[in-house]
Amino acid sequence: MDFDTRVKLAIYHATAEVGTPPRLEEVARRVAATPAEVHQAYARLGASRLLVLEPDGVTIRMAPPFSGIPTQHEVRVDGVVYHANCAWDALGIPAALHRSAEVRSRCEQSLEPLLLQVGPEGPEPSTWLFHCLVPAARWWQDIVFT
Amino acid sequence: MLFFRSEERIALWCRGRGVAPNPSVRMDQLWHLAVTWYGTRLQPDSRRPAPAEMRGIFESIGLQGDFWDPRADSFA
Repeated sequence: MDFDTRVKLAIYHATAEVGTPPRLEEVARRVAATPAEVHQAYARLGASRLLVLEPDGVTIRMAPPFSGIPTQHEVRVDGVVYHANCAWDALGIPAALHRSAEVRSRCEQSLEPLLLQVGPEGPEPSTWLFHCLVPAARWWQDIVFT
Repeated sequence: MLFFRSEERIALWCRGRGVAPNPSVRMDQLWHLAVTWYGTRLQPDSRRPAPAEMRGIFESIGLQGDFWDPRADSFA
């Protein structure tokens, strides 16, 4: 397994364990490398769109579907609380973890709460909808806005 | 990328921002996308779908048209 894949997996597994992305030093410990080596891998993973970093280059803003900051999309799995980057990622978290989940979000117009149970085969029947303002070709021009 | 209770609320939200509503996505369609994008994310051989694959994925669940066409997307 190449180094960047080891770093990526260390990030994702650490996030899956506790709900938030790890600090760079924790990733370095997990892959038995120096922080400088991991920092370089972060840049490559960012270029591959597997990570979105804060301007400091070391703080993980997004390890999709996981968010590095609190959002309106909260996902609970086996007692661990995660935040998703968007509505798509709110379902992406149980899909990535292969676990049942409880998704809490809201209607963006009315602020009515959404409580959605997601099982191994997907979400319970629901008439709620997903809407995206940005066309697919422009999603990564500003992924935080998207 | 947001949740809404109904088409009417999508329309209200868009009207308040002076933008036209885009095609909405049902929960079962969104689950298909979530599994396709993230189902292998914690595995060594995972990767994001390439643009050419994305178009086929969207079309397979009935999401067609320019809005869902990622051809201008690039991994450069």
